[in-house]
Amino acid sequence: MNSIEDFVDLVGDELGLTLNATDADRALDEIEGWDSVHLLTLLTALERRTGRSVPLAEVLEASSLRGIYTLTVPDRR
Amino acid sequence: MDAQETVAGESADDVFALFRAGQLLARYPTVKGLLATTPETERVRAGRLLARLDPDEVLRAHPGTPAVTVAVTGHGTLAPLVAPLTMELARHGLVLRPFVSNFDSYVFDLSSPTSALYASAADLTLCLLDPMVVFDELSACWEPTDVERVLNDKLALLDRLVARFESTSQGTLVLNTLPLSHAHLAQLVDYGARSALSALWRDANARLLRLEQRYPRLVVLDLDPLLGEGVSVTDQRMSVYAKAHLSGPLLERYAREIGHLARHVAGRTRKCLVLDLDGTLWGGVLGEDGVAGIEVAETHRGEAFQHFQRVVRQIGSQGVLLAVVSKNDRALVREALRERRDMALREEDFTRIVASWRPKSEALRELADTLNIGLDSLVFVDDSPAENGLVRHELPEVAVVSVDGEPARHAERLLRDGWFATRGLTREDRARVARYRQEAERQDFLDSFASLEDYLRELRVRVRLADAAERDVPRLSQLSLRTNQFNLTTERLQPADVQRLLSDPGARILTVRSADRFGDNGMVGAVFMSLAEAGVRIDNFVLSCRVFSRGIEQACLAVILDRARAAGSRAVHARYRRSARNGLVEGFYPRYGFERVAFEEDTVDYRHSLAESVARPAHLCIDEDFGGFAP
Repeated sequence: MNSIEDFVDLVGDELGLTLNATDADRALDEIEGWDSVHLLTLLTALERRTGRSVPLAEVLEASSLRGIYTLTVPDRR
Repeated sequence: MDAQETVAGESADDVFALFRAGQLLARYPTVKGLLATTPETERVRAGRLLARLDPDEVLRAHPGTPAVTVAVTGHGTLAPLVAPLTMELARHGLVLRPFVSNFDSYVFDLSSPTSALYASAADLTLCLLDPMVVFDELSACWEPTDVERVLNDKLALLDRLVARFESTSQGTLVLNTLPLSHAHLAQLVDYGARSALSALWRDANARLLRLEQRYPRLVVLDLDPLLGEGVSVTDQRMSVYAKAHLSGPLLERYAREIGHLARHVAGRTRKCLVLDLDGTLWGGVLGEDGVAGIEVAETHRGEAFQHFQRVVRQIGSQGVLLAVVSKNDRALVREALRERRDMALREEDFTRIVASWRPKSEALRELADTLNIGLDSLVFVDDSPAENGLVRHELPEVAVVSVDGEPARHAERLLRDGWFATRGLTREDRARVARYRQEAERQDFLDSFASLEDYLRELRVRVRLADAAERDVPRLSQLSLRTNQFNLTTERLQPADVQRLLSDPGARILTVRSADRFGDNGMVGAVFMSLAEAGVRIDNFVLSCRVFSRGIEQACLAVILDRARAAGSRAVHARYRRSARNGLVEGFYPRYGFERVAFEEDTVDYRHSLAESVARPAHLCIDEDFGGFAP
């Protein structure tokens, strides 16, 4: 997972959503099919894939996929 | 993505490929087979894709797919349960119609008869309980006695809620024990206080489990054995930030149990455990190592196989049919089962032993035919990946349990899924193996007669029709749930439903028992009727496949028509509703003079004018042990 594009692909795969690059900066609740429980699922999946702990409280406050992506990649924070 | 992630993605198999191709809905019937080979770690991800499908659309695209409505309520955040639940039901070929209630609304949902939860008319209602049910009610500083007070309140509350459920819903309610995590226990620093908390906590769980004895619609799942597999109770972050108090892995494990319960409620409990021999029931290759050379005791591996045999025998003692399908020499297999006295399983423990060199898919098909049960009633255990792959491909209805070269793990592999999970074992269950064996003897007996009539005369079949009584409730429910072929409307009745009919003055249930020269068959069928001024109506008629083709069904119908006429009834009404499995009895009513009076989609309503009687088969002795048909 080296770019925001990879990240959006991964989110789509994990959650069963059809996403494209423009969804990265969309407000989460404007993404078609988005559901608040997706955040929890996504967090678990990200931790499994990256082997790193992701700060849940901050993820819950993120407003877009890009926001979450930034939190998952420590050196880009 | 790095290389490892790509590999994981590819091993994800075809549910993911179908999703990406936009084919998941169109090819839904293949999902069950695909999930069987999807690694467990990937299955929940597949569940998330499946949960995105609209169940109504799936049912429109594939009518006839069995659906189970599951309502979920509870204390914490419930949505994370939906994906694993969708997947587990899909593994059994069932479509989940979920109703997910709001956060922490189980008290309202279950206490108010007009709640949306009751309106969902769910087959299964899951009330997910977690430790925060208790700890949310405690102040910052607490002692074991405070916990005891809250537990007592909660138990009393749950008792009332279950009672309300029993009087309101036609479905089944599932509660679970409250897991106690170390993170709670360790908040007490005194060992004595910890022990006190542990003891009263377990006492509350024991009372919760015992509720099941008082409420026939209730199932209480004990979470402790699932936690013992190494699943964590809680993910603290999820609990604190998202109020999801049970961990994802625990919900997944819970969903797996619910999948089997759903299968049972849908009347699809599996009935027969089919085992391979070499490498599965014993070590070594019988054809090469000989009867004396196979490992069943004494050596380390021998003891592992011995342990597995004991588990298989334990399962067989509770009414699950045991059979062997093995590529082996038949005579040698029988010799091994007879001569090796150190084996836990004996020849007589098996209903059928199919040892031949034909493909196992053929042998399994023949086995199902001989036992007169569906392929979807079989669970097949083999250590050969090639054989398992072949069976999965050729017979997707058969559940395949793959074991490997480590026999000590065979039992856990088999038991990981509750393939044979049932409610209320009956006397018939425990005698089932003997009955099926008698059936084999009857078959040999039949082969010695020139005509079917001669055979039936010599079989000396006796049929007894009697009014159902309280003690018949478990078996009546079971007959309605397990019988698929001779089941005229496939109306499934839980024990509480049978109970309701028994206390309904307008309803009448006749039990059908049979016996013959080879022994007692027990209760083999039932006729569910309504009595009204307009006449007698047969709401459903079920008969075990073990006693087909002996004239029993004709005898029952003849008796009912005669009795209806004697009671002054002008007609007998009956109904046939088509299911995937009951095509056998589509022509049953017309064959005996019933006329079709109405027809709607899969349902046909019939009427018999009582102008002519149905002949009572001459070879049968009929015993009528019930009152008249006055409405």
